[in-house]
Amino acid sequence: MKVTFPHFGNTFFAAKAAFDGLGIDYAVPPLCNKEALEIGSYYSPEEMCLPFKIMIGNYIQGIKEGADTVLTTGSCGPCRFGEYCELQMDILKKLGYDVDFIVFDAPKAIGKEEFLRRVSLISNASSKSNNEQIEAALNGLKVINLIDDIEKIAHIKCGYEINKGESKKILNSCKREIYSINNPEEVVKRLHEYKRKIKSVPIDLNKKPITVGIVGEIYTIAEPFSNLYIEDKLMDYGVCIKRKLSPSWWVKNTIMSAINMQSLDIRLASRKYLPLYIGGHGRECVGETVLSKREGCDGVIQIFPLGCMPEIVSKSILPTVSKDLNMPVMTLIVDEMTGETGYMTRIEAFLDLLERRKSNNVLSWS
Amino acid sequence: MKVGIPRALLYYKYNPFFETFYSELGCEIIESPETNKVILDYASKYCVDEACLPIKIFHGHVYYLKDKCDMILVPRIMRVNDKEYICPKFCGLPEMIENSIYDLPPITKTPIYANNKEKLLRWANREGGNITKNKIKIKRAFDNALREQEKYTCGVNDEGYKTKVVLAGHPYSVNDSFLNMNVIKKLNNLGIGVITEEFVSKDDINYEVDKLFKRPFWTFTKDTYGSTVYLADNRKVDGIVYVSSFGCGIDSVLIELIKNNVGDFPFLILKVDEHTGEVGFNTRIEAFSDMLLRRKLS
Ligand code: SF4
Ligand code: SF4
Repeated sequence: MKVTFPHFGNTFFAAKAAFDGLGIDYAVPPLCNKEALEIGSYYSPEEMCLPFKIMIGNYIQGIKEGADTVLTTGSCGPCRFGEYCELQMDILKKLGYDVDFIVFDAPKAIGKEEFLRRVSLISNASSKSNNEQIEAALNGLKVINLIDDIEKIAHIKCGYEINKGESKKILNSCKREIYSINNPEEVVKRLHEYKRKIKSVPIDLNKKPITVGIVGEIYTIAEPFSNLYIEDKLMDYGVCIKRKLSPSWWVKNTIMSAINMQSLDIRLASRKYLPLYIGGHGRECVGETVLSKREGCDGVIQIFPLGCMPEIVSKSILPTVSKDLNMPVMTLIVDEMTGETGYMTRIEAFLDLLERRKSNNVLSWS
Repeated sequence: MKVGIPRALLYYKYNPFFETFYSELGCEIIESPETNKVILDYASKYCVDEACLPIKIFHGHVYYLKDKCDMILVPRIMRVNDKEYICPKFCGLPEMIENSIYDLPPITKTPIYANNKEKLLRWANREGGNITKNKIKIKRAFDNALREQEKYTCGVNDEGYKTKVVLAGHPYSVNDSFLNMNVIKKLNNLGIGVITEEFVSKDDINYEVDKLFKRPFWTFTKDTYGSTVYLADNRKVDGIVYVSSFGCGIDSVLIELIKNNVGDFPFLILKVDEHTGEVGFNTRIEAFSDMLLRRKLS
C-alpha cells in the first residue's frame, strides 16, 4: 500500500511524520500548484467549489508518484464537503485509476465499528507494534501543533521585527528543513528549536503595525496556494495576521465536538449574529470577526471559494458586524479564474484604508 | 395580526402547514403573489450578490411583504428527516434576511426541526406563543395544520403524452414557474409530458439511493437523485430535464451524481439566474425535444 492524501495547509508535515513512524509507504503530492489546479479544474464539475478541484489535482499527482490508496476525511453535511469523496471516487474511476479510498468520517456518522474498520485498514498495513503506532499518531499531532504554532508566532512577529523579513525567513527555512527529515522524533526536536528561534526574533515594540484578521472558509484560508499566498504578502508588508482556523484547530475542534465543547469563545461571540451552526465554518467566520475586534485587529479579510454556501450566509451578515464594531471587513472570493493583479490591488487598497484609519484615528466608518 | 407568508422556497411544499397554523390562531394571512418581475427586481437589489436565485427570490418576496403585515414567516427549516439537511442557506435564512433588508417587521427565527412531531411542536409553541398565550389553542392549530399538510400533495404527472420527461430540481425550481420560465408549459406545448419526483414511491427512491457509497445527507437531493435515476434506468421516461440555479452548491453535486449513474441517457440541464434570457432558454428546450423525437424514431 502506498498512500497519498490531499494537501491542506501544514497537514502534510504531520501526515509525513505519522507515516514515517508507521513505516507505511506514501507519496506526498507536490505542494499545491498551478498544475494541480489545472488538472483538477479540468476533471471536476465546473460549479464545484475550489477545494474539491485542487484536491483532485493532488490525488492525480500523488497517483502519478505511485500511490494506490487515497486517504481523506469526510463530514456529514450540511455542506458539500461531505459529498466530496463519492464524486472524487467516480472521477478517478472514470479516468481509469485503480485506487482505494479510505475516508475518515466522524464515528458519530458512520458508526464506531465502521470507523474502526477504516482505521484498521491503515494500521494493518503497518508492521509496527500497537504502541509504536500510537506513538506515530501522537508525533503527527505534535508536529501539526508545533508548526501551526510557529506560523502563528511568525504572523505576529513580522509586524514588530527589527530586521525586516526575519520571521518569514525563519518560517520558510523551518518548513524546508523539516520536510527533508524522515525521522519523526528528529522533526519534533527541530520544531521545538525553531519555536525557540522564532520566539527570540528581536522586535521593536514601538512599532504600531496594522493587524488583520483572516476569516472564512477553512480550506481557502489555511491552504496558501488557494488564497494566492495572501499571508506571505501581508508578512512582506509588515502586517500582523491573526487567523484562528488551521489544521491543528480543526483537529482540536473535531475532538471537542464529540462532547459539544468545541470553540466556546467563537460560539459565544457569534451568538448575536448567527446563533446556529449552518455548515462549513460559516458560524466560526462570524464569531471570529467579532473576536478579531476584541483582539485588537484593525480590519478583517474574509476569504472563501466561489459558490461556498455557508460563507455566502456569513458574507450577508458581516456588513452589520462591521458597522456595529466599527471595523472594516473585506471579502475576497477565489476560484480558478482569480487574477493576481486585481486581487493584489484590492488587498493593497484595503491596507491603505486601515493605515489611514489608524493614523487619523478615525472614529466613524461606514 | 397580519402574518406575511412569502411564496418562495419551501412554501411550495409546506405552505398548508404554515397557513393553517396561523389562520387557526386567528391571524390574517397575507401571501405574496407568485414571483413576478417586480419581485425579481427587489430580489436582486436586496440580497447578497453571491446568493443563488431561489434565495434571492425569497428576499424579494419578503421585501414585497415588509410593509403589508405585522410579522413575516421566515422558516428556518433545519431538517425534515433524521440526520439529513436541506441546505446551509436555509439554516441561516433569517440572518440573511435581517442583514439585507432593513425596516422589517418581526420575523420568525425559531429553528424548525420537522423530523419529529415533538420538536415541531416546540417550534409551534415558541412562535405561536408570540401570538397567543393559550396553549390549547396552539396545540389545536398545530394538529390541524399537520392534518392539512398530510392531505396535501404537489407535483405533476402528465398523462396522454407520447414523450415524457422527468422534471428534476429543488421543489422551488420545479414549482415556481417564473423562476423556471414556465418550463412545464413549454414542454407540454412541444408535446412532452412531465412527471416529478412526488410520483415515485419511497421504496424505489431508497433502492437507488442505497446503491451509493454514501447516502446523500440532503433530503431533496436524496429524493431527486433516487427518483430521477429510477425513472431513467427503468425507462419510465424518455429524458431528464433538470432545472438548476447558477451557484447552487447542492446541484453541482447532485447533477454529477445523476450523470454518473444514468450513462448517456438524454439529460438537459437548464441553468437559471436573474439574467437568464428566455430566447436561449427556449432554443435549448426545443433542441432537446427534437433530439428526443429523433431517438424515438430511430
Ligand atoms: S464549506 Fe464551502 S468550500 Fe467547503 S465544501 Fe462547503 S461549499 Fe465547498
Ligand atoms: S439548495 Fe441550492 S438553490 Fe436551494 S437554497 Fe441551497 S444553494 Fe440555493
